[in-house]
Amino acid sequence: MCRMCNWLGDGTVWYKNPKNYANRMYKLREPGAQGGFRGDPQNVGAGLPEAIQAKANGDLEAFHSIIKGMNERHATQPGTQVVPLRDCIELVMDMGTPFAAMHCICRKTARGEEETNINEYSCLGVGTGMFKWERWPERYRGGVEFLSPKQTAEFLEYWDKRGMVHIAMQEGGDFIGGICNCDYPDCVPIRQRVDYGLNYQLTKGEYICEPDYERCNGCGECLGRCQFNALKYESTIDKPNIDPMACFGCGVCMTACNRGAIRLVPRRQYPVLANVW
Amino acid sequence: MAVVNPIINIDRERCTTPFDCKRCLRVCPAAVFVVLATKMIKGVELDKKEPGNYAVLPLYRDKCTACMKCVNVCPVEAITMSMPEGVSP
Repeated sequence: MCRMCNWLGDGTVWYKNPKNYANRMYKLREPGAQGGFRGDPQNVGAGLPEAIQAKANGDLEAFHSIIKGMNERHATQPGTQVVPLRDCIELVMDMGTPFAAMHCICRKTARGEEETNINEYSCLGVGTGMFKWERWPERYRGGVEFLSPKQTAEFLEYWDKRGMVHIAMQEGGDFIGGICNCDYPDCVPIRQRVDYGLNYQLTKGEYICEPDYERCNGCGECLGRCQFNALKYESTIDKPNIDPMACFGCGVCMTACNRGAIRLVPRRQYPVLANVW
Repeated sequence: MAVVNPIINIDRERCTTPFDCKRCLRVCPAAVFVVLATKMIKGVELDKKEPGNYAVLPLYRDKCTACMKCVNVCPVEAITMSMPEGVSP
């Protein structure tokens, strides 16, 4: 079981647990803690800039020691998990909580993207907290657009086709506050996990993707979609290869396949992968 | 030998409106740079066209290969690169 389910799952998958979308969760706050948006996301996990400087200066020992310390120190911090489109749509339809499209702050800081209207918004805010968006005007730069569950599903499908990974985000007060559409290298959790091994930033999904070589004709439509370096073209067999240990189970490769030759398999089905998060 | 990355220096005197320009942010193959607001008033960032309201930082320096694309694309020649002392290029 991943740390998020251990912590918030109550015996089920944490993002399927209605409790984590409940209004009262929004009000829980640690004594003395600051509420609201906590500033620049590229700074999440103080210590990373020092680690990067150490690595860039060739001091790998210092780099690994800082990263190890951060992983230990932040093991109980709010986290995020990869969720495949199918699960996203299921919870969008079932949860009865507000959804609002908004701009992506990671893309803004990494590539200077300015998303100002519904045709550009790429992030999805979740929960009653979205009604209070005007209290943090800069976090919701350009405003938000509330969507019906059906529109939300279409919104997520659109970004899935574009090749974005969906990530359920837990906010400070132990509630699920967003389902982002993310890619490498702009997305902060993906980048910090893939490049720097900050595993607490992003948990792998509940599934892994498996190719079905009976159906696959080696067309290569799925290639280039993987954000986690798990899917490659294996020239020997003229078919794509998915490394199960590296796969995050986002299903973005599956969306691209028009022969239904990639399927999601529960990670927990495999004794080893059940412990790989 | 350990891989060492260049030191990226950004002259804030020359680079004044990075969020409006964002050429280096776009051109970098490794997405080394981030752009941040330098100040906020009542939780709102200021005009991107006014000098000094945003700054570019080479946050992910360990990914820099010194390809010089950012140096060449910068319209105000604000980016300079050097190798750390004792490292031959």
